[in-house]
Amino acid sequence: QVSVINTVDTSHEDMIHDAQMDYYGTRLATCSSDRSVKIFDVRNGGQILIADLRGHEGPVWQVAWAHPMYGNILASCSYDRKVIVWKEENGTWEKTYEYTGHDSSVNSVCWAPHDYGLILACGSSDGAISLLSYTGDGQWEVKKISNAHTIGCNAVSWAPAVVPGSLIEQPSSQKPNYIKRFASGGCDNLVKIWKEEEGQWKEEQKLEAHSDWVRDVAWAPSIGLPTSTIASCSQDGRVFIWTCDDASGNSWSPKLLHKFNDVVWHVSWSITANILAVSGGDNKVTLWKESVDGLWACISDVNKGQGGVSAVTEGQQNEQ
Amino acid sequence: MDEPDTEPPLVVVPGADSSSRQLCFAWGPAEVLVCETLFGRAGGSRSRCLSRSPCPFRFWGKGRAGAAARALTDSVAGTEDGAPTSSRVFVVRRDQDIYIQTLRKLFNESHGIFMGLQRSEEELAGKSRKAQLVQVSKNYRSVIRACMEDMHQAAVSTRDPALQAQYSTQVSILSAMELIWNLCEILFVEAATAGPLLLRLLDWVRLHVCDVDSMVREVLSSESPSKHKLFWNVVDIFVLQGRMDEARHLLSKEASANPTSVNMYKILDDLMKKMPVPSLSNTQTLTELELKWQHWHEECQRYLQDGTFASNPHMESICKILLGDEDAILEKKELMTTWYHFLVTRLLYSHPTVKPMELRFYAQSSMDLFLGGESSPEPLDLILMAAFEFEMHQVIKECSIVLSNWWFVAHLTDLLDHCKLLQSHNLYFGSNMREFLLLEYASGLFSHHSLWQLGVDYFDHCPEYGRVYLELHIERIPLSTEQKALKVLRICEQRQMHEQVRSICKIMAMKALRNNRLGSALSWSIRAKDAAFATLISDRFLKDYCERGCFSDLDLIDNLGPSMLLSDRLTFLGKYREFHRLYGEKRFPEAARLLLTLMTAHIAPCSFWMTLLTDALPLLEQKEVIFSAEQTYELMRCLEDLTAGNSDKQKFQDDDIETTKVEMLRLALARNLARVIIKEGTVEGS
Repeated sequence: QVSVINTVDTSHEDMIHDAQMDYYGTRLATCSSDRSVKIFDVRNGGQILIADLRGHEGPVWQVAWAHPMYGNILASCSYDRKVIVWKEENGTWEKTYEYTGHDSSVNSVCWAPHDYGLILACGSSDGAISLLSYTGDGQWEVKKISNAHTIGCNAVSWAPAVVPGSLIEQPSSQKPNYIKRFASGGCDNLVKIWKEEEGQWKEEQKLEAHSDWVRDVAWAPSIGLPTSTIASCSQDGRVFIWTCDDASGNSWSPKLLHKFNDVVWHVSWSITANILAVSGGDNKVTLWKESVDGLWACISDVNKGQGGVSAVTEGQQNEQ
Repeated sequence: MDEPDTEPPLVVVPGADSSSRQLCFAWGPAEVLVCETLFGRAGGSRSRCLSRSPCPFRFWGKGRAGAAARALTDSVAGTEDGAPTSSRVFVVRRDQDIYIQTLRKLFNESHGIFMGLQRSEEELAGKSRKAQLVQVSKNYRSVIRACMEDMHQAAVSTRDPALQAQYSTQVSILSAMELIWNLCEILFVEAATAGPLLLRLLDWVRLHVCDVDSMVREVLSSESPSKHKLFWNVVDIFVLQGRMDEARHLLSKEASANPTSVNMYKILDDLMKKMPVPSLSNTQTLTELELKWQHWHEECQRYLQDGTFASNPHMESICKILLGDEDAILEKKELMTTWYHFLVTRLLYSHPTVKPMELRFYAQSSMDLFLGGESSPEPLDLILMAAFEFEMHQVIKECSIVLSNWWFVAHLTDLLDHCKLLQSHNLYFGSNMREFLLLEYASGLFSHHSLWQLGVDYFDHCPEYGRVYLELHIERIPLSTEQKALKVLRICEQRQMHEQVRSICKIMAMKALRNNRLGSALSWSIRAKDAAFATLISDRFLKDYCERGCFSDLDLIDNLGPSMLLSDRLTFLGKYREFHRLYGEKRFPEAARLLLTLMTAHIAPCSFWMTLLTDALPLLEQKEVIFSAEQTYELMRCLEDLTAGNSDKQKFQDDDIETTKVEMLRLALARNLARVIIKEGTVEGS
């Protein structure tokens, strides 16, 4: 049973584009076309505005919380081509880094698994993906993948950290050999998988199935199985679930979750990867879960509006 | 298996009623955030066709539950200020039941029973194992009943009508749960066989269905019970429930009040006394029972046909009931209130030796007859029907859909699994039904600030995915206090979750550092084996020392022990403090040796050498010579290394103090050298 437990009035003066809970569900960050990023304390059903961050000169598209072991850090990206990293220092939030290396709107930011360090991937409408790595002492190193997607990159999502080989505890001085990967979706209708090899980022896979711009990709958290799963959604109304069974990451096979009648903008996995949330048409968010026979089924519908129920359930047909 | 069973429930999020917005969302650790937005970026906006055409779905097959629907009709009012967009973010969650205070007992105590069951002796076989499992089942049920009591008390004592309604609803839900569980216990756990089966079902009906007691009390306490208007109702219900002794007792009152019916009464009483019933002890076989029953049935038949009871319709109706006449029984519908009561009564009077597998036929027909096409079955009816049909999975599935949290199905399924009744079904992704439900239940617990600890144990007993689920969830517990962090750590350490331990320690270290609690930060980073952080903090300590001339958190630094070796800087910090201690204890030669080693063995960072040399000054100025000649030469060399290295970069106008210090050092070293040469050159005793 799903119910609304809290409503946070953000007082943004314009459209909200993203809202993200921090790691523990105690803080909420929101960003809006009014160019601001706001942070609220939402413990115990409350809502206290902690910070109103100004620094962008255009609508802010996404925010992302870094892992708490690095402190309270938030990244935001905007139409103004900037990526800003904010940090809480001595109780106040301040800009700690600003990246202006993109030529066009930055659409998506995503922090890498904390095991890799503090690394931020940014996808932009200029077609490039930049990777900002914190190297210490306030310094950031930038690696750029130019022309990652022709026309533009709309989404980036990191693969969970999996240590190849054995999982015995390693002494802290020795960093395990992580194979860093992330997925991106772009206006070339493709989902691409990138892998870091010898310090350079290379395109490892090209996943083709969509017939229109890919708007979002989400790599599912790992639950210990050797399979990897990615969800992608597109303007063509389709949502695909891609799975790769072998550890080398070579053979990805898509499964159509559903074809919606409208653009699908956003997909997101729950933390144990057992539920996928999809923004469908009809002003709805649908929740999907994998069923007994390996098929995906919709388990719930979250809709906004007053009182009106079942607009959906009449005259159903299975379009697959 | 794939036929649609329910439509995906719609959750309505109250908000401004605007048809041109979409929903943006994000997952939190235990919730979903939803807000209005308009997708479409400058980098690729297309006009959206906001059609409201139906959206087809594929439904969940067997074995999984969908979320029950609950549209919010009493929604929060939309924004009044006329703003074009809603600036609100909604937090949507499942499993709100964990926040109901009165259910806390249910979760805590059932956890204890669950753990007991997991650890129970598997070696016990056959009857003793079964008895053990039945006991576990009874324990669960008594916890439900205790909770019902509490909830009832709460409902009675509150003045707030909304709360009262909520409590009352909870009571009826718990009552339904106990009803279902009890039936499952009889049919599945105890697996009652023909004979005892009926007795158990009778108990079940007596316990759960229709509250006779108040009626009984009323009648018995009246002046002349047999004249009471409810008298025959009570007698009837006793008969319907097979409570022969009580029925006969009441009838005797009627007989004494009404001498004309004495004969009739005697016969009826006799029949009721003689009625053969199954017994729990094995004093008779089923065949014997059936034979006896047949004879008795025929006797009743004879009396009825002879018109013995013709003059008293009440008694005649009782006789008909004894004969299992469906119409006669159905007439008492209002008293029985439910079809399953009707079922059991029917069985009692027409087929007391019913076998478990025969139940389904009687159940279906009972329900049909009782409802008679006037009303349709409710969810509870369907669940009970599934139980009578021995469709365990159906029971679990229906319960999952109807109930608002996973508690019931998780624990019941676990128990059934221990009874080895669920082996045959495996779910696609390798896990099984029991584990699936336990995972869901435990995951729900994790969003609660204290119940999460129960969740840990449940995950422990999920062999396939329990560990990874625990890893994912335990990292998300807010570490609001040091106590809580330590608790979480202990749990991780016990399970060798090294990654999580490290992660938590790093988070705590960072927190402490931000709050300027250096000692705490240092001990956390040592625990995290985080060399880089330890170095950072050691630097801070040293910086503090340089600025203030003393150390904070001396205890910690003094007792570093082998963890000192985590990082070079930390080692230096520890050793440097040791130097100060030695100096304080006036163990000068040792202090001197240590000081020198710190520089020559390059434990000290170059930036600190000046400070160290300055620390050497008082040792050089002592009355007694401390540094040997060799040591003095070493010190001089260090000083020269230091000044040589810096001379290119040195800005002389800033470093008057520096140059003075260097000069003082050179002088002190030279003086010491002089003294020590003499001392060492002097032959002892001459």
